[in-house]
Amino acid sequence: MLQGQDGRSGSLGILLTTLEQVVNWGRKYSLWPMTFGLACCAMEMIAAGAPRFDIARFGAEVFRGSPRQCDLMIVSGRVSNKMAPVVKRLYEQMPYPKWVIAMGDCSSVGGPFNNYAIVQGVDKLIPVDVYVPGCPPRPEALLDAIVKLQEKIQRHEKLGDRL
Amino acid sequence: MNGSDTTADVLKARFPLAVEGVSTFRSDLVITLKREFLRDVARMLRDDPRLRYNLLLDLTAVDRLKLGITPRFATVYQLYSIPRNQAVRLIVPLPWDGETEMPVCPSVTDIWPTADWLEREVYDLIGIHFEGHPWLRRILMPENWVGHPLRKDYPLGGEPVNFSGDRDNPRFAHLGQQIMEGLSFPSELPPGVDPENHMVINLGPQHPATHGVLRVVAELAGEQIVSAHCDVGYLHSGFEKTGESKRYEKFIPYTDRMDYLSGMNNNLAYVLTVEKLLGVEVPLRAQYVRVILAELQRLGSHLFWLATHAHDVSGTIHSLLMYCLRDREMILDIFEMFCGGRVTVTGMCVGGLRQDIPPAFPEAVKVFLREFRKRFKEYDAMLTRNPIWVARSQGIGYLAPEEAIALGITGPMLRAAGIPLDLRKVQPYSSYDHFEFEVPTATESDCYARYLVRMREMEQSARIIEQAINRLPGGPFRTADRKVVLPPRPELDTSMEAVIHHFKLVTEGYKPPPGDVYGMAENPKGILGFYLVSDGSAIPYRLHIRGPSFVNLQALDTMARGHLLSDLITLIGSVDIVLGEVDR
Repeated sequence: MLQGQDGRSGSLGILLTTLEQVVNWGRKYSLWPMTFGLACCAMEMIAAGAPRFDIARFGAEVFRGSPRQCDLMIVSGRVSNKMAPVVKRLYEQMPYPKWVIAMGDCSSVGGPFNNYAIVQGVDKLIPVDVYVPGCPPRPEALLDAIVKLQEKIQRHEKLGDRL
Repeated sequence: MNGSDTTADVLKARFPLAVEGVSTFRSDLVITLKREFLRDVARMLRDDPRLRYNLLLDLTAVDRLKLGITPRFATVYQLYSIPRNQAVRLIVPLPWDGETEMPVCPSVTDIWPTADWLEREVYDLIGIHFEGHPWLRRILMPENWVGHPLRKDYPLGGEPVNFSGDRDNPRFAHLGQQIMEGLSFPSELPPGVDPENHMVINLGPQHPATHGVLRVVAELAGEQIVSAHCDVGYLHSGFEKTGESKRYEKFIPYTDRMDYLSGMNNNLAYVLTVEKLLGVEVPLRAQYVRVILAELQRLGSHLFWLATHAHDVSGTIHSLLMYCLRDREMILDIFEMFCGGRVTVTGMCVGGLRQDIPPAFPEAVKVFLREFRKRFKEYDAMLTRNPIWVARSQGIGYLAPEEAIALGITGPMLRAAGIPLDLRKVQPYSSYDHFEFEVPTATESDCYARYLVRMREMEQSARIIEQAINRLPGGPFRTADRKVVLPPRPELDTSMEAVIHHFKLVTEGYKPPPGDVYGMAENPKGILGFYLVSDGSAIPYRLHIRGPSFVNLQALDTMARGHLLSDLITLIGSVDIVLGEVDR
């Protein structure tokens, strides 16, 4: 994508690309997830942030406490009926552009908790970009989801429309 | 059984009309009481010097609709006497004509303050009105919820599972769309909160330092906390109702997901309870391996607590978070070697272990212990004399020993108040009595003391693991009782009997005798209790869980009063809660 006139990347020269591509490139390597642990999957999300799996390799290590500073919500765990309005409120508080990863079976489809208390999939509340199966998924699976999301962000065609 | 006889005799002598029946099942003493005598009997059980049942471990209720017993509802009180090391269970049937909305039971909140949340939970999930309760509101379900989910005429809920992955199916029509309104509604302020003169601020349910989805309504005068009320239930997942719809064995994976930092300990507490109900003996090798797994998990849980607590209290110790998580990964690797799971392990089964330990297991544990001991000294040095750490935790959140018992506190928090109650010592299970270890205690009962107790506990856990791994006996890893565990695969080729046992177990499961048992184990957070009622079928009729985090969290208000808002974070960390267990 970014290529100098002489065909070598990194050399000073003329850059020919589209604005979208540059912006998407910047966005995809600076995802700021929200510190939003719900249940068991949050333990694996934290493990993904720890040195062994090191989510910083993918530019997504800046976990923020406030939804207003985030562009990635990782729904890591089961969403109960009592929590549902809160999840929705948090999503609405995040500024555009924003993305959602449904981590684990519970937030994807309800998982083993097919009962009165749990919302059967967080996609009933907010739009989800990437689903990660597993109960809980290993940290590698979450990293894979982030890479998948980066690919999706790079494919985005038109700036300005709501993602 | 001398002690339990005393209880019934003393009770009968004092209140001859109150006792409806006394029975013993699987060494549990159960006394059935008349409702009108409950409060008098409760006070006597607590105060009589011969009895001294000072700890109300658990309070729940049973809807006996499908058992065909009248009256339909009965409340259950599990009492424990710390000085006498004796337990008794009170069952109080509640006469109800069905014309009022719910049956009525006298409240015992003034006798055991821990009953406050426990009674609210029963009110919320089963629908029993507690007369005299200071603030009887829903605690786990949203306030606008209709019905009481744990009643037997309330459906399990959920959605039908569609197994075809067809995207044209109307079931998937909602994908990517918001279909639920998810309306929020204003909630009522707790009693005693004065919004006119004090500032009321809301902490959570989304807050980086609440360790999950806990909401605290803090009433402040300046920066000083006047009261701190917890709003829990944001992770209520219906464990009990789910357990009452599945076979005994099928609930083990769910226990992993309750306190997801101590899956092995939860497994152990649950299988011990079911084994008690069935009357199954577990081979020594399985008991030792269970001890190793449970203590490794305790280390993992305490390491995670240390990591997050240190991170919350003084953000500068971010490196400790990274170090502790690095060590926890070593434990998770051992678990993975044993059962394939990291966090949600399901490592044990009723009657022993799911599989024997792999040959490389002992060496891996020894390597871990060597590394852990070396690094643990560093962590100890980083915090124990750290001036910031000491300033932020010493003298914060004092809880008097008698207050702690009244609030039902167990685990490291109780031991930090100077009461050496550790079930591994006082009621040894799974051959804990074969190992030498100490029960660390402290007397200061503040956040710093709780920290010290947990740190010393980690050393003791390492000691137990070392002894168990060095003296690991041979032999079978699960019971030979074919009515409970599956026969080994090779036997199926030669023995018709084994095939029949296999078939019966897989299709029907085991059927424990009718009765009820209370089983408990010492979890990293405190005493985890399971109350099981069997009606003789393969599915538990009633499954109740006593989450230690749930009960311990109740003390937050008592501890926080008078301290600064920033201390609230230290306090939440020092309780060591896991919201999956608080809300269940």
